[in-house]
Amino acid sequence: MSDARLVAFTERGVITIGTIQAGSVLDAVNVTQFGKEVLDFVNTHAGVNLLLDFHSVEYLSSAVLTELLRINQACKDAGGGLRLCALNSDISKVFEITNLDKMFVIYGAVDEAVMRYARSLAIQAEEQAWSHVRKDT
Amino acid sequence: MTKPFFVRELRSSMDALGDTLKSALAALVERGWVESGHTFYAQLCLEEALVNAITHGNQCNECLKVRIEMTEEGEYCLIRVYDQGAGFTPERVALPNLEQLNGRGVCLIRYCMDEVSYNHEENCLEMKMRRNTLCKGGARHE
Repeated sequence: MSDARLVAFTERGVITIGTIQAGSVLDAVNVTQFGKEVLDFVNTHAGVNLLLDFHSVEYLSSAVLTELLRINQACKDAGGGLRLCALNSDISKVFEITNLDKMFVIYGAVDEAVMRYARSLAIQAEEQAWSHVRKDT
Repeated sequence: MTKPFFVRELRSSMDALGDTLKSALAALVERGWVESGHTFYAQLCLEEALVNAITHGNQCNECLKVRIEMTEEGEYCLIRVYDQGAGFTPERVALPNLEQLNGRGVCLIRYCMDEVSYNHEENCLEMKMRRNTLCKGGARHE
C-alpha cells in the first residue's frame, strides 16, 4: 500500500468533500487503499454527508464500483449519505452500463454538487419535521 | 497460426497486475489497435479480464499462473487471457442486482468488445476487437 493518501477530506457546511487525488487512476491495484481510507473516515464520523469528488480521476474499473457500494452502505449505516460528483464521460458510461447510475446520486461539478446536496438535505430535514407534526396532530 | 505480438505470464496476485496492464496497453497503442489518449475501454477490458482470471479463475492462488496473449487476426485483435480455473460462460453472466457487490466486470467486457467467449479447451477468455472502435467515447453502442 502506498504512503501517499488517495483521498483528502474537507468540510463545506454540512457536506464533507472527499477529493480523490489518485493521480488519475483508480483500479484493482490501489482500490484496497482507496476503500480503507474512505471507510476509516466514514466509520469515525457518524452521520457524515460525504460527497466524493472524481474530477481528477480519469479511469476506474469495476473493482472501484464494488468499493463504492461498500462505502454507500457504510454511510447509510453511520446515519449519513454518499453522493458522487464530477465524473468524466467515460466513467459516467461505466455507471450507465452497469445500471449503477440508478443506485448512486451523481452530480456535475463540485460547487454545484455541494449546493444541490445541501439543498436535498434541507428538504429531507423539513419533510421529517412535517412528518413529526402530522403524527402529533 | 499467427504469432502473438504480446505475451506475458504473471502469478495470480494483484501485485503482479499493474506492470502487465501497462505493458499490454502500450502494445495495443504501439500496434495501432487503440489510439493514444483513447485507452479507457481497452484498459478496462484488460483489467477486468485479468482480475477475473486471478480472482475467480485461479482463486488468488499465487502458485497458479495467468497468461495474456494478443494476436492480430485480419481486421481483429484477439486477446486471450488464460487461467487454470474451472472456466465459465460469459454469455450467461447477467448484470447483477444493484446492491450486489461483484459480477460487473464480464458485463463491461461484453459491452465494450466485439466478441467475447470462453474457450474451455484452452482455458482462456477470448476477446475480439477491431481497430480503434472499442467503445470510443462511449458512442459505438449508442
